[in-house]
Amino acid sequence: MKNMEVKNTSKAKLVASGVIPFVFLVAMIAYIFGPGSDLIDLGVSLPEITIEKVEFLDSEIVVTIRNTGRIPVDVVMADVNDRIQPAAIEPDKYLERFETAVVRIPFLWNVAEPYLIGITTDDGTRFEKEVEAAAPSLEPSLELAGFFAIIGTYVGIIPVMIGLLWLPFIKRISKSKYHFFLALTASLLLFLGIDATEEALEVSKETLANSFNGVLLVATVVLLSFLALYYAGERLVQNASLSRMTKPVAVALMISIGIGLHNFGEGLAIGAAIGLGQVALSTFLIVGFAIHNTTEGIAIASPLAKGKPMIRLLAVLGLLAGAPAIFGAWVGGFVYSPFTAIIFLSIGAGAIFQVIVILIRWLQDEGDKKLSSAAVVSGLAVGMLVMYLTSILI
Amino acid sequence: MLTVIVATVSVSLLYFVLPGMTEAQTEKTFVTHSGAVIKTTGDVLDPVYTPQTVEFDPAKYLREFNYGRISKLDDGRTLREFTIIAEDDKIMEISPGVFYNVWTFNGTVPGPTIRATEGDVVRVKFFNNGLKSHTMHFHGIHPAEMDGVFETVGPGGQFTYEFEAGPVGVHPYHCHMMPLEEHISHGLYGVYIVDPKEGRSPADEMVMVLNGFDTDFDTENNFYAANSIPFYYQHHPIQINKDQLIRVYVVNMVEFDPINNLHLHGNLYYYYPTGTDTVPSTFTDMITLSQTERGIMEFKYNYTGKYLFHAHKVEFSEKGWIGIFLVKDSEAKVE
Repeated sequence: MKNMEVKNTSKAKLVASGVIPFVFLVAMIAYIFGPGSDLIDLGVSLPEITIEKVEFLDSEIVVTIRNTGRIPVDVVMADVNDRIQPAAIEPDKYLERFETAVVRIPFLWNVAEPYLIGITTDDGTRFEKEVEAAAPSLEPSLELAGFFAIIGTYVGIIPVMIGLLWLPFIKRISKSKYHFFLALTASLLLFLGIDATEEALEVSKETLANSFNGVLLVATVVLLSFLALYYAGERLVQNASLSRMTKPVAVALMISIGIGLHNFGEGLAIGAAIGLGQVALSTFLIVGFAIHNTTEGIAIASPLAKGKPMIRLLAVLGLLAGAPAIFGAWVGGFVYSPFTAIIFLSIGAGAIFQVIVILIRWLQDEGDKKLSSAAVVSGLAVGMLVMYLTSILI
Repeated sequence: MLTVIVATVSVSLLYFVLPGMTEAQTEKTFVTHSGAVIKTTGDVLDPVYTPQTVEFDPAKYLREFNYGRISKLDDGRTLREFTIIAEDDKIMEISPGVFYNVWTFNGTVPGPTIRATEGDVVRVKFFNNGLKSHTMHFHGIHPAEMDGVFETVGPGGQFTYEFEAGPVGVHPYHCHMMPLEEHISHGLYGVYIVDPKEGRSPADEMVMVLNGFDTDFDTENNFYAANSIPFYYQHHPIQINKDQLIRVYVVNMVEFDPINNLHLHGNLYYYYPTGTDTVPSTFTDMITLSQTERGIMEFKYNYTGKYLFHAHKVEFSEKGWIGIFLVKDSEAKVE
């Protein structure tokens, strides 16, 4: 009985010691921000408008803007190439913090010409965004959705399937050569992970308002994606022995999920490039990604090399890795927003990094504890080089 | 139970449908450059074609000449006394919805048009009600200590400028405190006209100060205008009579841009640079003006109708420096 009481009081102490600092924190914040407090009423808050999206419709330019400053603002004027234009703003011109609005500027724009879009707030500050080449916005249609599906297939599914055809070859080679291919896979993926991160950072730098802390957003999402997949992956591999799945299959599955998430990001880039009218760029993107993505098939095939060949399993894994490119192209082409692009690219990067960890473990389990054998080192080096060279095509 | 659900659903339906209906009723329209009428459920952002009222009235300023409090001096000359108060804390709507900290003489940009006849004594009692030092510097002929450069007038201070009006012509006056560009571009300027003793021929006279505002302080003007308010004379055409002599006193006060100009449609004007000579220098429809360059333009319209006048530096006209003369066929013309 006495023992129980002691236990209770110690528990109460524990809770109290956890809560007390928190109470002080709340009190301090209430003091600083509370009514009647002008303690931190220093400096001048400046308005800030971010132009998130510019769409070119039939004789109208539609601009999506967001109030990314610390204070509410009135939007009072729009201009094209620094020349004042009659315009409308919907739903209304008053924007709270983080609120968005659509500015409609009737304008007979010319295809492929650059345009500078300007938005002026009530204090006369002008914010602008440059569009390198005007191109008609894509209207979602079944035909266009089909077109994107075909491109996604070319970029995602077919190259991955072609890559998988190397499986019989990998099967017949010696153990050290097999290690070479596993290491190659790891460095292919490392390249893709860095690539996706870089892309996400670039998009955030170019289009995301400072208030979203672009770099930290990318870092947070990459890490969360990595941790979530790492946790799920470990469970999957652990339970592999219980289910019918073998460990190599589990690893291959994790790789295809990671690559699938990554290919979603690639589809996004292609869809957005077409959507933004950079048609020449997107042709290059398609050819480049197709060659690039063949290597992803090798990545999936490698862990499976020593097991029984299962055509149906390979097809499923290939689809898992390749098909998200189609969904990515739809999202990128029809509902592109920089914010979602950054999120998806970061998720893809996190997934890739997670797969690399699995592959490295796999190599260590296979015998090369220090990862210093000629096969592994040369595999890592060749992977990066191949990726770099094929990436020049994009 | 069922009635409750039905009631909830119908109430929420009303909630969602009604605002949509009221919005449809309050739909606004505006016109584009090509004349198309655009409908919107939101707000119209159109300083170009939609007339809107702002604090300052360029229509009033256009033909408002201040001759001062007139008295005779012992030597027979005419004394014209003016009171000018400088301020620098006023926030003015310089284009619909755009609020800018203007620095003013007597509360407006441009300041009042001061008019005298050659040989008159001009006495300006200057009070500085601003938070910064200001002066008044008149272009023209006067003693050094009346030049408004070295005699700084601090906040709350005053100074009396006194000089004989001359030479004949149209001149600017402006604050000459350093940094000068800042004091001028915020609005401390106005027009000073000296009439010849024999007078000029009767005419419909008006003043146009070509100016601009750099509202985001990037040393590029965001707005241009004749008499401060962008597009004002496009919404409110200047009404003049057919066959009547029009005389425009034009002063270019634009900062940052090295030139400005004035092009008149459907007509040409006789141009008198600085207004100092009685013989026009040219007959043209296009004059280019550098900083504080000014002159007098005289013309008559032979046909009625609407005629544009604007900067042929088109960037300026698309940012507000554009207007319309509405020429009317009037019996009651001034002879």
